[in-house]
Amino acid sequence: MALPLFYSWRNLLVRRLSTSLTLLLITVIVVVLAVLLSFAAGIRQTLKNSGHRDRVIVLKPGSTAESTSVLFPEETNLLVQTPGIRFDPSGQPLISIELCIQTSLPRLGYQDSFANVAVRGVDPVAFAIRPEIQIVEGRLFDSGALEVIVGEAASKRFGNLKIDGEISLGRLGNRLYKVVGIFRANNSSFESEIWAPRSMITTAYSGHYTSSATIQCIDESQAQTAINYIKGPSVKLQAQKETDYYQELARTTRQLVVLSVILIAIMGLGAVFAMANTMYAAVDHRRREFAMLRTLGFSRIAIQLTIFIESLLTCLVSCIIGLLIGSAFIAMNIEQDFISDVSFSSLTYQLRMTPTIMISCLILACGVGIAGALAPAVRASRIPILEALRKA
Amino acid sequence: MFIGELQRYVTRLQNPNNVSFLIQKVCPMSLANISVHQVVKNYHKDRIEIPVLNGLDLTIPAGQFSVLMGPSGSGKSTLLHLIGGLDRPTSGTIQVGDFNLDRMSDSELTRWRSRHVGFIFQMYHLIPVLTAAENVELPLLLFSMSSHERKQRVATALQVVGLTDRMDHRPNQLSGGQEQRVAIARAIVTDPDVILADEPTGDLDAKTSEEILNLLNILNKEFGKTILLVTHDPRAAAHGQRILHLDKGILSQEKEAVCVT
Repeated sequence: MALPLFYSWRNLLVRRLSTSLTLLLITVIVVVLAVLLSFAAGIRQTLKNSGHRDRVIVLKPGSTAESTSVLFPEETNLLVQTPGIRFDPSGQPLISIELCIQTSLPRLGYQDSFANVAVRGVDPVAFAIRPEIQIVEGRLFDSGALEVIVGEAASKRFGNLKIDGEISLGRLGNRLYKVVGIFRANNSSFESEIWAPRSMITTAYSGHYTSSATIQCIDESQAQTAINYIKGPSVKLQAQKETDYYQELARTTRQLVVLSVILIAIMGLGAVFAMANTMYAAVDHRRREFAMLRTLGFSRIAIQLTIFIESLLTCLVSCIIGLLIGSAFIAMNIEQDFISDVSFSSLTYQLRMTPTIMISCLILACGVGIAGALAPAVRASRIPILEALRKA
Repeated sequence: MFIGELQRYVTRLQNPNNVSFLIQKVCPMSLANISVHQVVKNYHKDRIEIPVLNGLDLTIPAGQFSVLMGPSGSGKSTLLHLIGGLDRPTSGTIQVGDFNLDRMSDSELTRWRSRHVGFIFQMYHLIPVLTAAENVELPLLLFSMSSHERKQRVATALQVVGLTDRMDHRPNQLSGGQEQRVAIARAIVTDPDVILADEPTGDLDAKTSEEILNLLNILNKEFGKTILLVTHDPRAAAHGQRILHLDKGILSQEKEAVCVT
């Protein structure tokens, strides 16, 4: 039979200082873990929303992102022969040839802080391939005008990107483009971009090249057929499913997660020692008490369980407080942007507190609690009864 | 003050519902004869063997209030702990009621202690974070019984020791005498066959000591508990029916009980 829960709880309250310090340490670790994981989850989710398994993105071989890819017309012309392409009702293949460049814009809320924002030159077919693009304010640009539409996330994070705002584009930055619309794109990375008519962007940058092509395939299996064709000797370009492409862009988040795990592991180890120290002190302070409980007939396991419960209660409270603080932080800093080390452009994403993050924090806290209590629990259960009672 | 409580106690005794669980084993129906046969106990310190008890024989009939006296280091507490199953003899046998302690495993001894022995120590050893009632309730958690029954037993045990009005107080809110009475209530709440008291008045003033010893007398005479009391104090010893002297491992008897009723 275990000792009552309130016995453990009251003992925690008795040693307030040491309990509070341990609690604080574990709370900090939980907050750090929750926030770091929410960063990674937010970025992953944004990039996940950007890709579809039945779309294929075509780049120059060796390129890691659209921003570093250059495709010439003679190359993109070959893509119309790709097997598995879907056609629109008028019989036109759904291939969107796009030009991606970057422009530096001031970040709102920061003084003298600029970041690269992706500008995508597109043709009307781009909207047919990506039905998730929805104009929520203003209108679509005219094909031959110096007009742009802006993703909602970019509009909130950068200056001059509201309706009727103007931005300078072109090699010399001497062409003013007017913002005529704001669009949403299902919280995908496109919402961090500026879209303009491809012909106008191509002219502004005096090039005849493009960056990428996106092909809408009939279905996922046809996407693979298309990839094989494009990679083959007929076209010799790099092709991958959109989902795989954006997963690769999320590489930064994997590094973030690995770094987080290393950081948390080190902090967690410290917390285990802190917990063990606290529990050892508690056990030594209560030797008489445990000896008396054994005298009364409580088993060694009941004593061990008490130590584990005290440790786990501390960790559970820390976890709850940590998650609350983490959630508050996330709520206050919901929208963030980061510069991808692959695309070199800014990606706006939302911090996300997911059930997985909560469970991860809970597992971490419980792990610290169990590991920290292990040795003290064994010591408590092995206290020589008579020796402890005599030393009273 | 305690006399008044005694009178109330006698009144309560006339109402069997109040103390029904305690008067199930009224003397001379107690079951636990204590038999110690050829018990040797040696301690080891720095590889040196220190003999404490050397072939000790002792029989305590059920329902007897025995007192064990002797100088410090004579082995009084050691003998008490051996009888209570808190320690094991180097050799020899100890029988309490139907139980041969030296044949029991550690876990069996732990279980046996919880059901058959009540311990009272000089330093009370109450759990500081628990109230008087919760301290008394602790041993009952090892029994399979409803919360309601536990509460009833606790209330009765605290009634017997006259501490009903202090049941929600924590040990640091009680006097030494009150703490010892809570410890006694904790010792009797499981209705054990044997009560082992290791200098229970050693830390109390004369008046409070007398109160505690009177309480032990009641537990012996009215409830038939077999009691073994270890003490240095001759006045405390006078409460026993039989006084045993232990010195250098040799046991001698000074006073025999006249009648155990």
